[in-house]
Amino acid sequence: MTAVVAPRRERSASQRYRHSLWLLTKRDLQVRYTTSALGYVWSILDPLLMSAIYYFVFVIVFNRGSASEDPYIVFLMTALLPWTWFNGSINDMAKAFIRDAKLIRSTSIPRSIWIMRITLSKGIEFLLSLPVLVVFVVITQFTTTPAHIRWDAFYSILAVVLEAVLIIGLGLIIAPIVVFFRDLERAIKLVLRLLFYATPIVYGISRFDKDSVVKHILDFNPLTGVMSIYRSSFFAGNLDWPAVIISAVEAIIILGIGILLFRRNMRAVLKEL
Amino acid sequence: MSQAGMLSSAAATASKPVIVAHDLGIQFKRNRRHRRSFKDLFSESSRRARPDEFWALRNISFSVQPGEAVGVVGRNGQGKSTLLKLVADVMIPDEGRVAVTGGVAPLIEITGGFVDDLSVRENVFLTAGLHGMSVEEIESRFDEIISFADIGDFLDTPYKHLSSGMRVRIAFAVISRLEEPILLVDEVLAVGDRQFKEKCYARIDELLAGGRTMFFVSHSEADLLRFCKRGLYLDKGKLVLDGPIQEVVDRYNADYK
Repeated sequence: MTAVVAPRRERSASQRYRHSLWLLTKRDLQVRYTTSALGYVWSILDPLLMSAIYYFVFVIVFNRGSASEDPYIVFLMTALLPWTWFNGSINDMAKAFIRDAKLIRSTSIPRSIWIMRITLSKGIEFLLSLPVLVVFVVITQFTTTPAHIRWDAFYSILAVVLEAVLIIGLGLIIAPIVVFFRDLERAIKLVLRLLFYATPIVYGISRFDKDSVVKHILDFNPLTGVMSIYRSSFFAGNLDWPAVIISAVEAIIILGIGILLFRRNMRAVLKEL
Repeated sequence: MSQAGMLSSAAATASKPVIVAHDLGIQFKRNRRHRRSFKDLFSESSRRARPDEFWALRNISFSVQPGEAVGVVGRNGQGKSTLLKLVADVMIPDEGRVAVTGGVAPLIEITGGFVDDLSVRENVFLTAGLHGMSVEEIESRFDEIISFADIGDFLDTPYKHLSSGMRVRIAFAVISRLEEPILLVDEVLAVGDRQFKEKCYARIDELLAGGRTMFFVSHSEADLLRFCKRGLYLDKGKLVLDGPIQEVVDRYNADYK
């Protein structure tokens, strides 16, 4: 081996970016699946348990559920699985820089990768959890209220894009700020719990009148439109285009603010780490 | 490319520096009492002077030619590591700029990219990959890296179960095999047993002979004199002297010993 400075095959910046992003995403999934005995089960256990709880409370205890929400378990999971993606990502965003401080201090990697890789790895876990939904849809075929997939399911691609934009935008805002205000990490957990109930997950948007105050408040939540798209894959009357447009506009505004804040604060974040 | 060809091409580009620092400056907070307010997050913080901030480095200008080995000298807390981090692009200066042509192999906190729960093998691919190596490149050098670190029996051991010496060895083996034209070294040679230290020295000699540029931070006078031709002497955030390494070391000794 002679130590000669061979001209290394130069790769473009975007190639390097994608390569690093993929390596870190793979690392996340590897760590998750090699360090726990149950591995994959963990990523579906949370939504599964939540579904069981809400099914018990709303269907068995209160005997709720209208014609537009049957079968309730499928109704619940169509929103709960995307919520798990959102919830898990935002929780992790709070630790995005702190957890990898050593690596950030020693390796020059485009800084937005830390946001993207959480969005991506949680997104992949979300996709991997979809078979659970399929299983429940199949099971309902043997009941009196079978779930039927609708053509609107194709709009879910749009919902995935919107949700990703929203997560990235919020991540760009949250990740740098938490470096300076560590207690924000706890505040985020509280806000997420509140947001869970302020989002049509255990209930449907069609439950409210068009002009009711609650409906107007819910419409302001950027997740409302996103969830309405996911829901409409199985349930008619859930797709709410005005809410979707509000979601899209808000997601883009949040992304814009995020990019701005992220750029402004990067210098200080690197000093603080 | 042959050694001779390499040297002639280095000579041809000798007029073009690979590292150019122009009026570099960075400031840090002296204490943590001053909390940042939310308002600060929305404004460009470098534009404002605060009483509790001090300049860790200021008005630093220098350029490094390809193939040069530059030693950075100074007492603790005089900004040596910060300067290295600015060159490595893991910190952003508040003033001025630093331009680096070509890739950098940073031997700074070298174990930083390694993940406790992954095996040595997975870690090698991860770290080398993050530094820009493709999978094929890593595979072709994998055996070399492992034999250099001398931990062939622990390939599938989780990183956290390695001894601290082994951790540094594998990390050094990976980063020093990056084949980047610029090498940044921050005090990493202080660790490891003597045998491995000798190996590291030999490796650095080999890299320098191959025309690499090196930026070297150390408190060891012997190391500085051994590897470097030129020295930068930092004191109180200023670049006090930029000259031949012997002169720089002598000046440092005259000031502080």
